[in-house]
Amino acid sequence: MTSTAVETGAGISEGVPAPAVPLAARTRGLRKVYRSTVAVDHVDLDVPEGAVLGMLGPNGSGKTTTIRMLLGLVRPTAGEVELLGRKMPDEAAHALPDVGALVEGPGFHPFLSGRDNLLRFAAAEPRLAAPAIPAAVDGALERVGLTAAARRRYKGYSLGMKQRLGLAGALLVPRRMVVLDEPTNGLDPAGTREIRRIIADLHEVGTTVVVSSHLLAEVEATCTHVAVLQSGNVVAQGELADLLESGNAALLVRTPHAERAVEVLRENRIGARLTPDGVRADLTATPAPRVLQVLVQSGVEVHEATRARTGLEDLFARLTEGESAAGDDVEGDA
Amino acid sequence: MSTAAISVPVSRTGHDTVPLARLAAAELRWIFRRPRTLAVLGLLALVPIVIGIGLTLVNRSVGTNAPSDSGAALLSSAINNALVLPIAAMVMTLTLLLPLASAMAGADAIAGEASHGTLRGWLLAPVSRGRLLAVKAFGVATVSVVAVLAMSITGFATGLVIGGTDSLFTLSGTTLSVGQAMLRILLAGGWIVLQLWAVGAIALAVSSWTEHPMLVVASVLAGNIVFTILGFLDSLKWLHPFLLTQNWALAPADVLQDPMSTAMLGEGALRAACYIVVGLSLAYARLVTRDG
Repeated sequence: MTSTAVETGAGISEGVPAPAVPLAARTRGLRKVYRSTVAVDHVDLDVPEGAVLGMLGPNGSGKTTTIRMLLGLVRPTAGEVELLGRKMPDEAAHALPDVGALVEGPGFHPFLSGRDNLLRFAAAEPRLAAPAIPAAVDGALERVGLTAAARRRYKGYSLGMKQRLGLAGALLVPRRMVVLDEPTNGLDPAGTREIRRIIADLHEVGTTVVVSSHLLAEVEATCTHVAVLQSGNVVAQGELADLLESGNAALLVRTPHAERAVEVLRENRIGARLTPDGVRADLTATPAPRVLQVLVQSGVEVHEATRARTGLEDLFARLTEGESAAGDDVEGDA
Repeated sequence: MSTAAISVPVSRTGHDTVPLARLAAAELRWIFRRPRTLAVLGLLALVPIVIGIGLTLVNRSVGTNAPSDSGAALLSSAINNALVLPIAAMVMTLTLLLPLASAMAGADAIAGEASHGTLRGWLLAPVSRGRLLAVKAFGVATVSVVAVLAMSITGFATGLVIGGTDSLFTLSGTTLSVGQAMLRILLAGGWIVLQLWAVGAIALAVSSWTEHPMLVVASVLAGNIVFTILGFLDSLKWLHPFLLTQNWALAPADVLQDPMSTAMLGEGALRAACYIVVGLSLAYARLVTRDG
């Protein structure tokens, strides 16, 4: 399982262009071995500044391990990590004050209230002057919707409330970067929506966000960039839109004359097949305008033409195909 | 871009580190709000009161049979003696209860935080691992000081209530003034605090190797008991100078002599200092390489 990345969909892995935007985080040749288990290997991750990067992968694919190395919590066996231009973990003291993180679930003390837990958390926050702590804590609690339960003991919190409190800790100060490891774990649909809203807000003000998740819909809904991990390797990364389109060039044409349309396209040597409400034309050799031109010139009524866009689910299935069983038992991911 | 509008007015420090005093204050607030800590400290403070009352009740029955072992001798001297009572109480609890308090504090400090996932919070803030150990050691040390101080105060107060201010006899038979007596008690307390710091340093070392606070408490107490047993074995006399628990029952009584003999106290203090250095070094060595 330590073999090199699975190069499915042509041009996906090597298709990451030299970044025009500066990178908020970057790893090169990252490798982590726990005793005899290789948790992460050959991870070259680029997180452009201002991006919302979704780290996607099955349980045990190395998402959390990668994040922990990104944050300097774990020293890599080999390879290098740069976070906000600082080498990790050696320069963590200068990078981490501008990074908010929720890693491996929220960690708090059961005998303290949510607010007291956050106050304690905030005391160690270098970017927060002592007099500003109470206001920052109350603001963060408000932001994650915990104001009402702020003075209750953490012990009595539901899973979702604990998760929110962890998120509040990451949001105590305005950050340059926020790292959220499985932020929607244990949240109900409303909570999940709120997390998405918070991520969108962060993105809006220019904060770089890294979100790991095994929930595809969540990533698809919130991210601008995606990195897909499988058995400790990055098998694909890049902008979400690019990834979704790559290897899947097709035009969906809605028309009442579907059979005629297929006939015409095939006469013009354009690959096409019937779909329930029209035609699917292959775009690998033909540009989209040409397809439409052929159809219209042949008198086929075109009601609607859209570029085929598979869900992330298809992409993910394609990328991790045939290796799905291997990644399930790798240590170091919760 | 990080200055973007946000609902909270935040005043920024512009520094990458937090003052140590702020971390220490947060640590103390955390320690002394933990119900378990308060319960242990409260119970320890009760010990001298209970002993004082107990000794007064059985006063008449002690009679003539002279106790043979030193602890019991000290205890019988504590009858109607406000100078000896607090020290006797501390010597008695030093065999198990006081080290327990230190071990618990040490266990919660690192292993306990790791098991709750809160150690990660410190590291991500970020607090460097060296500063983290400094703050944690300060917290454990404070617990030991508070425990000993509480016992000194309740012990002395109980002694005064029972025997009055003219009950301040040294073991040599001289009488001390209240001020002198308090000084002696503080001296014995300080020596005991030093021993507890040694226990705490070892607890921190174990604590930084594990995520299970129970394991820390258990191993420190087991070590305490093993040391005590080894101290009884005459065939291991060469080992005795290296045992932290050596003379724990005898040395504090030396401040009750007039004039004080300081040989055992000095040796014990030196031994404790060595244990503190070794314990904190081990804790630091482990903490810097530990995965967060």
